[in-house]
Amino acid sequence: MGDRPRILEARNVHKTYRFGAVPVEVLRGADLSVHAGEWVAILGSSGSGKSTLLHLLGGLDRPDRGRGEILWRGESISIAPGRRIDRYRNRDVGFVFQFYHLLPELDTLDNVLLPTMVGRWMRPDPAPARSLLESFGLAHRLHHRPAQLSGGERQRAAIARALVRGPQVLLADEPTGNLDAVTGGSILDLLAERHRSGLTIVMVTHDAQVAARADRIVQLRDGQVQA
Amino acid sequence: MYARLLSNRYLTSRLIPLIAIGAVALCVAMVVTVVSVMTGFLDLLRGAGRSIVGDVIVSSGIGGMPHYDELIARIDALPECHKATPVIDTFGLLRMPYPRGPEKEIVTTQVWAIEPLSFAEVTEYADNLYWRRPVDDAARAAMQPDDPRLDINPAWLQDGFTLVESATGRPGVAIGMHVSVANERQSDGSYRPRYGWSMPGRDVTLTLVPVSSRGKIAEPREEAFPIVNEVQSGVYEVDKNRIFAPLAVVQRMLRMDRAPLYDITADPGPDGQLPVIGETPARVTKILARAKPGVTPAALRDAIERTYREFSLEVDANRSLTTKMPQIVSVLTWEQQLRDLIAPVQKEREMMRILFSLIYIVCAGLILSIFWAIVIEKTRDIGILRSVGASRRGILWIFLRYGLVIGIFGSAIGVALAWLIVTRINDIHSAIGSDAPAAVWIGTYALAAGALCGVVWQAVRGRLLPLLLWTLATLIFMVAGTGLLFHRGTLIWDPSVYYFSRIPSQVDWWTAGLTVIGAVVFSVIGAAIPAARAADTDPVEALRYG
Repeated sequence: MGDRPRILEARNVHKTYRFGAVPVEVLRGADLSVHAGEWVAILGSSGSGKSTLLHLLGGLDRPDRGRGEILWRGESISIAPGRRIDRYRNRDVGFVFQFYHLLPELDTLDNVLLPTMVGRWMRPDPAPARSLLESFGLAHRLHHRPAQLSGGERQRAAIARALVRGPQVLLADEPTGNLDAVTGGSILDLLAERHRSGLTIVMVTHDAQVAARADRIVQLRDGQVQA
Repeated sequence: MYARLLSNRYLTSRLIPLIAIGAVALCVAMVVTVVSVMTGFLDLLRGAGRSIVGDVIVSSGIGGMPHYDELIARIDALPECHKATPVIDTFGLLRMPYPRGPEKEIVTTQVWAIEPLSFAEVTEYADNLYWRRPVDDAARAAMQPDDPRLDINPAWLQDGFTLVESATGRPGVAIGMHVSVANERQSDGSYRPRYGWSMPGRDVTLTLVPVSSRGKIAEPREEAFPIVNEVQSGVYEVDKNRIFAPLAVVQRMLRMDRAPLYDITADPGPDGQLPVIGETPARVTKILARAKPGVTPAALRDAIERTYREFSLEVDANRSLTTKMPQIVSVLTWEQQLRDLIAPVQKEREMMRILFSLIYIVCAGLILSIFWAIVIEKTRDIGILRSVGASRRGILWIFLRYGLVIGIFGSAIGVALAWLIVTRINDIHSAIGSDAPAAVWIGTYALAAGALCGVVWQAVRGRLLPLLLWTLATLIFMVAGTGLLFHRGTLIWDPSVYYFSRIPSQVDWWTAGLTVIGAVVFSVIGAAIPAARAADTDPVEALRYG
């Protein structure tokens, strides 16, 4: 990966949560570099802070003040204004969650269109979302609500939503964690196919077999990344 | 775009927003209905006041104003004045033509002695004469087939205009619609003769008590008059108490007519009479005046005040005139004259506006609590939206827009509801004021029976919530049916209290507009706190625990 540029980096990142008056330091100087086109799996046990690291990488959260930073193409998004981070989440990265997180009031097509609606007054062109869903085998589910879809279909819809704006990085948090082995396998195949097309993937998992599909596996232990 | 899509979906996919819309609609309907009726009441008072007394009223004490015809000529000549007319305002006893037998009912009345032709130019006296035949086929078609006015003596209207019974040439009186008990008001506003009695053409006896300017009471005088017509001003107090009689006749009865002035210090002449040294002019107690179109009552009042002062000085300076103008007269516009009546109603209306405005706070609190619950329920959605790039401002707007839509829909429905109630308020009042038809309470019991079937069905299915709802429906229909069964008519709008026989039924659109703005603003305020909470929600927390 040495010839590919680093597009996403975590540098000496600390993150502390407070549970009442008790501070719990989840990340203790975590470092991670992700190169363009790379599939990195972050492996760790439950509560090791891997989802926290993913949220920090995706700009959903910020590191402790003055204790580390997240760099996107060399620009620190940890200190960027809120509007810049909103734009980063909307255009540069896409999130996939273990529990799909589709909006129950919207049908599949509108769920996938959601990122393209941000910052627009008019309804966006549905063609890209429609073709993405068709390529994911969901052409017959466009106007079904999430409750009417199977787990695998929901996760495919969630991946379509993450990819609809053509982000460079997909951040996947236990994408197969709620699926059976066969369905999980098909989701990983789908990710692998996108990865071959040049998509950078950062995937969090506690399952070594799932992690094995990635180009590179890093371990998160005691709040630090261990290659 | 997502804010519009989501707030629309939240609105249409749930029951709670409908409850919020219903609450806003009820608040708006209540405020608009109450304030519209009160505004209508005020408008009626104002309109009726002007139609009954004209624009400006010049009033003197009981001794009256002499030289009134010259003063009226001066007032008539004012560029601000359309017409002025003399009136004597006094009290009298009226011996009614009923019941049968020698003992007749006697009522106390306010007697207005008028010159009908000029009086009709200052007030709407001519329009208020009730007994008149329909002028054309359209007016005839608008009446009920049994309306007695369809077949009355055509001379009654003219007799009412002139206060003279044309058949006999006798001076007559026109009495208020409610002075006698003979007129029974129908729900459509027309009257039917009670006990078959019809007043026009019958004789009444009017008794007046002359009072000197020093307050000395002279021998009462009575005189019989035919009733030539009846007057419906729309103001119950006026229609209940006032009668109109010819000015010259009342002046004579009250000794306010022109009379010789004797020298009481001289010895009687050979014929036993005191020498005549002059003449006391006829007097009236009021002069009513109507302003020309475009002239305000206040401008006319000022002009009349100036004229009266100048006229009074001229009379004082004229040594040949033995009777001077009274020093104390009041010159008031009709609004000032009715101030004691209008001001409390105005205050009550403003009080109502303020009190009912508190309902907005309740409304805002209701929306706040509903939205708070929705925001908590939608926490995960907020996290999802933030993860796809939605800004905090965008999240805020979802819920503010939601509140805005609830405010707009709720107030629109509320205004429509208020319009329905206000425009049909007299029908509603009539329905409340009469016994419920058997079909209504039987129908309500039938609904209760239907709901009871639902209770049984849900009991069989074992579903608790539907069982509870059907049970509540059964109880409500049972109570409503029983209430209707024993309902025996309630008089809410008592004309003797509210002056008018009909409830005002015009929507006050100005108030409606203000109420809509208030409801929308308070709905947005109610939504703002939960919306801000939503915008402040930490997306990570929202995704993890939502």
